[in-house]
Amino acid sequence: MTGIIDIVHAEYNYWIYTALMMIGFYAMIAKKNLIKKIIGANIFQTAIFLFYISLADITGGTAPIIWEGHEDVIYTNPVPHCLILTAIVVSVSTTAVALALIIRIYREYGSIEEDVILAARKSLQPEFSEYARQKGGEE
Amino acid sequence: MKTLALFVVLLAGAMLVYAGQDLPPFGDSTTDMYQNRVTQRYIAGTEVESGVPNMVTALLANYRGYDTLGETTVIFTAGVAVMLLLRRRET
Repeated sequence: MTGIIDIVHAEYNYWIYTALMMIGFYAMIAKKNLIKKIIGANIFQTAIFLFYISLADITGGTAPIIWEGHEDVIYTNPVPHCLILTAIVVSVSTTAVALALIIRIYREYGSIEEDVILAARKSLQPEFSEYARQKGGEE
Repeated sequence: MKTLALFVVLLAGAMLVYAGQDLPPFGDSTTDMYQNRVTQRYIAGTEVESGVPNMVTALLANYRGYDTLGETTVIFTAGVAVMLLLRRRET
């Protein structure tokens, strides 16, 4: 039993990132509200960030900023920090595009609930096909 | 449907925990990732080659400048996409 506790304690960062990733994944696939899906995607991305940053950490190391006048300073690994800085920017961009798409969907259907939108699409389907037929006839 | 989602999530979590057993312990400095010569070169060479005290800044803007240039393309594309999506057409 103590062996299991030692393993969990030595690698607790991996357990935390796994738990966060599962929460985000569940929100992405089980929730019907589109905004909640985006929140789930953001939690998922945050789990990845946490995973990379925790991989970069060194016990007893300082932040990777040069400490003048000190020799033999242990710096934590700067490479994952740099990669995650890029990933955060991509995350913000994807969130912005997703929220803009949700605004467009709300303007068209008056709802951000997935089942309401699908029902509205189904009831509108004959008009859509009529429109497509006329469009095809013109060309 | 919710049970299926929960099952898929638990399966993914179990796979992550299984794969995580091969990862190094938290705060280990003897890993290949830290002892790699690229990492050590960045840590040792930042002050000499770029003169910036912050290693992350030196990496982002100096060693990996083309990566950051591509990153700005991503932001630009996202901004254009948001503008096109939210524009109200005058009809």
